[in-house]
Amino acid sequence: MITIIHQRDKCIGCNYCVELAPQRWIMSKKDGKAVLIGAKEKNKFWVVKVHDEEEESNRKAASACPVKIIAVK
Amino acid sequence: MKRKVEIMAPAGGFDSLLAAIQGGANSVYFGVDQLNMRARATMNFTMDDLPEVVAICAKNGVRSYLTLNTIIYDHDLSVVKTLVNKAKEASISAIIASDQAVIAYARSVGVEVHISTQLNVSNIETVKFYSIFADTIVLARELSLTQVKKITDAIQHEQIKGPSGRLVEIEIFVHGALCMAVSGKCYLSLHSHNASANRGACVQNCRRTYTVIDNEEGHEMRIENEYIMSSKDLCTIDFLDEVIDAGVAVLKIEGRGKGPDYVKTVTRCYRAAADAISEDTYTIEKALLWKEEMENVFNRGFWSGYYLGQKLGEWTDTSGSKAKVKKVYIGRGNNYFKKIGVAEFLVETHTLKKGDKVLVTGPTTGAIEITVEELHTAHGPVEEAKKGEKCAFKFDLPVRKSDKLYKLVSEAE
Repeated sequence: MITIIHQRDKCIGCNYCVELAPQRWIMSKKDGKAVLIGAKEKNKFWVVKVHDEEEESNRKAASACPVKIIAVK
Repeated sequence: MKRKVEIMAPAGGFDSLLAAIQGGANSVYFGVDQLNMRARATMNFTMDDLPEVVAICAKNGVRSYLTLNTIIYDHDLSVVKTLVNKAKEASISAIIASDQAVIAYARSVGVEVHISTQLNVSNIETVKFYSIFADTIVLARELSLTQVKKITDAIQHEQIKGPSGRLVEIEIFVHGALCMAVSGKCYLSLHSHNASANRGACVQNCRRTYTVIDNEEGHEMRIENEYIMSSKDLCTIDFLDEVIDAGVAVLKIEGRGKGPDYVKTVTRCYRAAADAISEDTYTIEKALLWKEEMENVFNRGFWSGYYLGQKLGEWTDTSGSKAKVKKVYIGRGNNYFKKIGVAEFLVETHTLKKGDKVLVTGPTTGAIEITVEELHTAHGPVEEAKKGEKCAFKFDLPVRKSDKLYKLVSEAE
C-alpha cells in the first residue's frame, strides 16, 4: 500500500494530476481545485491509502505538480 | 491645471490594502484564491475575504478591482461564475480579465470589465474590439509613449466608447517588476517546472543567474552579468508628466507580492507626483527626490521600461532587492495603552534602541513608520530593549497582536 497526501488549499487547479493519474484525481467544479479521490482531511492535508499499482502514475503527478503539494509515500 | 489621473495600487493582503489607502491610492486591485497572476503567493485573499476588502475600499472612497486574469480551463468555468457573482454582490468596481470566458460572463451580468495587460493590447483596432466589453484597457507594457499617445488620440478622435457610454480609458503600468517576455507570452516557467506563468504560478526563471556554454567545444563564455534576463524594475516618476501627456487615465503600480511598506511608499510618491503635475508644480528635482525615496523599498534597480523607446531591456545584477533600507524583524504587538497613546511590543529577536527608525505593519494598521524617541521596559526608561523583553514607546494608532515591528536600517550598516 502507498499513501498519497494532498495539501489541497494550495492547489492552483492546473489539471496535471488529473492528466497523469486520472483514476485518482478529478477537478472540482465547485472550487476549481483538484480532488484526491477517496481521501480524508486532517488539518488541511487530504490523505488516502491505495494499492501499489497506483504508485507510478501518482509519483508522476507529484513530480509534475507546479506547486509541489502532492506527496507519495 | 492638468487632468487628474487615477493611481491604482496593489493589495496582496489586508496590510497592503491599508497601506495603499494610506498612500493615497484612488483604487486597488487584488486577487482571491487561485485564478489570478499571483496564485503562488501565500498571502492571497480568499473568496470569503471579498466582501470585507470591497467594504474597506468603499468606506475609504477607493475603487476596488478583482483580478481574474489567468487562462481559464473548462473545470474553472463554474468557479469563474461564482467569483464574478460574489464580486457583483459585494459591489466590486470592476473585474480585470484576460480570458474571453471571464470577459463575456462579467459583461453578461453587468459587472464592469477591465482588459488585463495579459492580453498585451498594442493597437487601436484591438482597443476598438475590446471596447465592446470593457471600459478600461491596460495596454501592453512594451509600447513606447508615442505609441500610447497615438492610441489615446484615436480613442478621442474616433470616439471609441465602452459599455458605460464613456470614452474607453487607457491604463498603463508605471512602476514595479517587468517581465523579460511580452506579458502573458512567457512559457519558461511552464517549460522548466510545469508551472504556468499564465496560471499565476511563475517560478521566475528570468530572475536567476545563467552560464552560457558553447556546445561545440564545451567552453563556458565569460559574461559580465550572469543575470542574463532579469529586467530591472520599471520607474516612470521622473517622466510622469510625459506619461500623463500621452493621455493615460490610470497609473498602475505592480506589486501584489510585495510588502505594505513598498505599497505605501510607492503609492505615496506617485500620488504626490500626479498631484504636482495637475497643479503645475512638478519639477525634475522633486521627481528625483521621490525616486530616491522609492529606492528605500524593494527594487531591482530602476529603468524607464520601453516607454522612452529603448531598444533592449536593462538587466539587474542581483537576485533580490536593491533597496537601500532593510527591514529587520524585531517582534510583535502586545498591548496598546489608548489613554496615553503608547504601544507595547514583545521583542522576539535582535535589539531595539532609542532613536531607531521603525516600521509597524498589520492588517488594520497598514504600514506606519516612526522614530522611537523614548523607550520604556519594565525597568523604566531605557536606551535599548533586548530579545525577550517587552518594550513600549509612543505610537499614535492602536497596535494589535497581529502587528509586526521592524527596525529600518540602511543597507550600508
